Amino acid sequence: MKLLLKIWRQQNSETEGKIVDYMLDDVSPDMSFLEMLDVLNEKLIHKGEEPVAFDHDCREGICGACSLMINGVPHGPEKATTTCQLHMRKFTDGQEIVIEPWRAAPFPVIKDLVVDRGSFDRIIQKGGFISASTGSAQDGNTILVSKIDADASMDAAACIGCGACVAACKNGSASLFVAAKLSHLGLLPQGQPERSTRVLAMVMQMDEEGFGSCTNTYDCEAACPKGISVKNIARMNRDYLKASLFGV
Amino acid sequence: MLGFLRSTILSKIVMAVSGAALVGFLIAHLTGNLLVFAGPEKINAYGQGLRDLGPLLWVLRIGLLVAVALHIISSIFLADKNRTARPVSYSKKKSIQSTIASRTMLFSGITILTFVAYHLLHYTYGIVQPEFYHGEYMLHDGRTVHDIYSMMIHGFTNPFITVSYVLAVTFVCMHLNHAIASAFQTLGFNHPKYNAKIKMFGVGLSAILWVGYLSIPAGIMAGVVKLIEGAH
Ligand code: HEM
Ligand code: SF4
Ligand code: FES
Repeated sequence: MKLLLKIWRQQNSETEGKIVDYMLDDVSPDMSFLEMLDVLNEKLIHKGEEPVAFDHDCREGICGACSLMINGVPHGPEKATTTCQLHMRKFTDGQEIVIEPWRAAPFPVIKDLVVDRGSFDRIIQKGGFISASTGSAQDGNTILVSKIDADASMDAAACIGCGACVAACKNGSASLFVAAKLSHLGLLPQGQPERSTRVLAMVMQMDEEGFGSCTNTYDCEAACPKGISVKNIARMNRDYLKASLFGV
Repeated sequence: MLGFLRSTILSKIVMAVSGAALVGFLIAHLTGNLLVFAGPEKINAYGQGLRDLGPLLWVLRIGLLVAVALHIISSIFLADKNRTARPVSYSKKKSIQSTIASRTMLFSGITILTFVAYHLLHYTYGIVQPEFYHGEYMLHDGRTVHDIYSMMIHGFTNPFITVSYVLAVTFVCMHLNHAIASAFQTLGFNHPKYNAKIKMFGVGLSAILWVGYLSIPAGIMAGVVKLIEGAH
């Protein structure tokens, strides 16, 4: 395959960036999207040019490191798939592919396609955990969890924190991510004691980081590589309202 | 009192509750206005009935004003927050499953606001068509009241007023096409068993309002509703 890549290049967070065109030949349809970028980078290195910086780690769709806005859609055209799991056979020979970083004030560009998602970590630090005493763990079987709650919690726990929801949202809202984390813990018995303080603290941090607000357009849900449902956002709103009205 | 603006979620909840109050107003307003089809006696008596509410009318008006104010204040705060959340825009961006109505809420809202101002200048303050504002009508019981009936007909005989009204009603219904279902989600109501019904309710109610509000100029233009000889 032959491709025309239009890639955002930016030296660092201080400088201005721009889209640069690259022609790439001999792309195998069996390559993953990131392997295709690896090939481009090798060529650039051979020519003595700076390779394109992009985030990646597991390359098997579980870590949440890879990102990339591909032709205007986070993680590219395939539904419920991370960029690292996207294959070049989803593109056509001769196609033009625009590759940009996530765009949001709380996700500043560090270099080229790499953004700083530390804002997500700071939201997690505010309440994305349960407090448990140290010592030997309690016997798991003594805490009963209904199958329905366990499944719903597991579905929410599938969030890998990639930020595609923010990237897709016209408002740059992190609601889907925060809601996934809240549902993940808030649906389990172990998450109950801190359920109210957690929602207030995490939402406050989300607002302080400068993410936008949710207008229920639901592009986040369509962009999410893990298929996190917006019903988690409704649960977050409910919990938040309850905690604000009745205290914690 | 405006402390809710510190939180995006509380602002959205204020938006949803005030929006729901406004939807209630739209339904009531339409129900009243449809009396135009029942003839001058009915709608003029209804108008007089509203005026006779006296202080209660002011309670309703102030309640409506507060709802509008809260709705607009939170929309300004949220729109500003949303704009600053993406300082650099994409060179290529596709929407994946969002509707046009959901992406243009601020635009449709501002259009509605502009029309509401004009509408009040027209029918409440009599500034737009002052020549038709002071018409009087004698009810069967002998009371002389403000002639709303002929004022509506004169309004919709003017092409500019009719076109702007049709456009405005269309924008209101586009706003509501997203807003009604959205308000359920904002207030925390989302259940797989009811989601399709909620969506249908939102689309259905906005469609009914659209047909209802537009039936008035349509009825007047079709001559179903016409001026009564000698009544003016
Ligand atoms: C007849 C008048 C109006 C009615 C019945 C109405 C109704 C609603 C409702 C029910 C919502 C949903 C709230 C939610 O999703 O939580 C909403 C949202 C909204 N309205 Fe209005 N509204 C009206 C006028 C306006 C005006 C005058 C403006 C702007 C100046 C406006 C701007 C907005 C915005 C920006 C949203 C949020 C968009 C979103 O969350 O998707 N609306 N409206
Ligand atoms: S909700 Fe989905 S899109 Fe958002 S961070 Fe989690 S996995 Fe990524
Ligand atoms: S690199 Fe880990 S999810 Fe893509």
